[in-house]
Amino acid sequence: MRSTPPCIARLADDAAAMGAAYRVGLASAIASAPVLVGRAIFYGVCLMVLVAFWDKVGAHRVAGTLGAHLPLSGMAIYVGVTEWITLSAPAVHLTLEDDIRSGALEPHLLRPKPYLTQLLAAQAGGMTARLAMLGAAGLALLALSGRPWPAGFGLAYVTVLGVIGTSIGLLLLTLVGLTAFWLRRVLPPLLIVQKLLFLLGGLFAPISFYPGWLHTLAVFSPFAASLAFAGQAALTPSASDFGWALAAQAFWFAALSVAVALVWRAGLAKTLKDGA
Amino acid sequence: MHPAITVKELRKTYRFAKARRGLAQSLAGLFHPQFVELQAVDAVSFEIAAGERVAIIGPNGAGKSTTLKMLCGVLEPSGGAAQVLGLTPWKQRRRLAYEIGVVFGQRTQLWTELPVRDSFALLRRIYDQPAAAFARRRGELVERFGVGALLDQPVNRLSLGQRMRCEIVAALLHAPRLLFLDEPTIGLDVTAKAAIRDFIREQSKGEGQTVLLTSHDTRDIELVCERVIVINAGRIVLDQPTDQLRRRFIARKLVTLVSQAPTLALDMPGVTRRPSEPHTTILEIDTRQSRVDAVIGAALALGGIEDVTVEDPPMEEVVHEIYAALHR
Repeated sequence: MRSTPPCIARLADDAAAMGAAYRVGLASAIASAPVLVGRAIFYGVCLMVLVAFWDKVGAHRVAGTLGAHLPLSGMAIYVGVTEWITLSAPAVHLTLEDDIRSGALEPHLLRPKPYLTQLLAAQAGGMTARLAMLGAAGLALLALSGRPWPAGFGLAYVTVLGVIGTSIGLLLLTLVGLTAFWLRRVLPPLLIVQKLLFLLGGLFAPISFYPGWLHTLAVFSPFAASLAFAGQAALTPSASDFGWALAAQAFWFAALSVAVALVWRAGLAKTLKDGA
Repeated sequence: MHPAITVKELRKTYRFAKARRGLAQSLAGLFHPQFVELQAVDAVSFEIAAGERVAIIGPNGAGKSTTLKMLCGVLEPSGGAAQVLGLTPWKQRRRLAYEIGVVFGQRTQLWTELPVRDSFALLRRIYDQPAAAFARRRGELVERFGVGALLDQPVNRLSLGQRMRCEIVAALLHAPRLLFLDEPTIGLDVTAKAAIRDFIREQSKGEGQTVLLTSHDTRDIELVCERVIVINAGRIVLDQPTDQLRRRFIARKLVTLVSQAPTLALDMPGVTRRPSEPHTTILEIDTRQSRVDAVIGAALALGGIEDVTVEDPPMEEVVHEIYAALHR
């Protein structure tokens, strides 16, 4: 019988540890069911306000204004998707800030598995529970509202792009959290990233409404990959757009993963040199 | 015996920007920062044999924790060399992690919102432990440390003493050959401290584990460790067996007497009076000259004693005495 090569065995062990951390994150989120329910209620309240706003805009459909470009079914499903992603993304930046500032990082560095992969796996577990809970809440609200569902494979496109979009959001927030190695407090970079998600990510309005140059800037940013692509797939689902969005998301997921790894390595080097 | 830890001329210098006063100076500091260097550890050298239990003591800021962190691999030295179980800690940190267990008294390594059982299960994956061997070892440790009833409780609902026992079990689950303990009894009550000391000593004796401990509590040192390294201002000022240290420096006790009379007249050899408030008499006893029970007996014979407390002198005093003795 051939034995497993050491590098494969090590990868398998690392994957098993990440799997265990993922399950812990998932179990913790499920155990905090009241928090999940509270988040779902907040999601519903956000949607009520945003849908009322867009319905008011859409009701006029005045030529020459944005209202004329709105889908007949309204913007409820678009903002439903972007809010679903936003509220499902874990607050990993706060955990990182806490651990880095308080020195709680040290005990984690004394373990054989990398702290950051363990943390991200656990956060992904919590994210899965929130995506499921808020997704179910969103679908229930859509059914109750009597509005039309996304056509064709729209729902499948939204699910795939939404899950990857939330993962991109997780990586963006991880980068924000890692700035604590240098800034100690992550609020300034967090505000920047939140505003960029709001503007270039198309949190409340599709980026297709933007003027040409701004639309181009937004569509090639990681912020649109996080939010807008999934929202747009709910409005105008198409296989070609889905393929393009998937490719863009894959690029940003890989690029941000590399960025996270490099920033983590630099921060870790600083900590090992200067102390936690 | 082959050394578990070898440290040669280990140094650590921290460098940080100097804070300036006033707006103008602060602005100038942005363009021309001034740096301050702090020599935390200065050419420290020692060896610790496998199975030895050693305490590193010293006043706050002496360099104890910095030394410990460098030996664990979470801090890179500015100079010198160290080998821990044949590995260079700061270069082979993750490999070393499989071989060492670490307890920071003031920080938890458990997942505070999870039940203890789940934290242990996660540690099995983190340390790549086979399920059967892990279950057997966990069972042994849970029994030895008496934490069976705590396994299903979330860590953040445990008392400090309970949590510390679970922390030590967690540090031992992967069968480390070397245990680093940084203030393992800090904040615990007398009973919990005694239990933790007993557990550590018995565990180390039973499995032949090397223990390196830092503490401000002289009882941790006396009851757990067989050798003491005293660090002051980043340098080793003393390295000797605990018995010798006790005879040389910890042969003192502080007895506090609360009495109905404003003062007590006690004149015995080796007994000196410390400044105190009326009705409270603090006596420092050199136990080589007078026994503590004899002094208390003499005080009780005077009558009107309402309370008696016996304490070791604070570690800071012992260390200062050691330091002063070395310069005499």
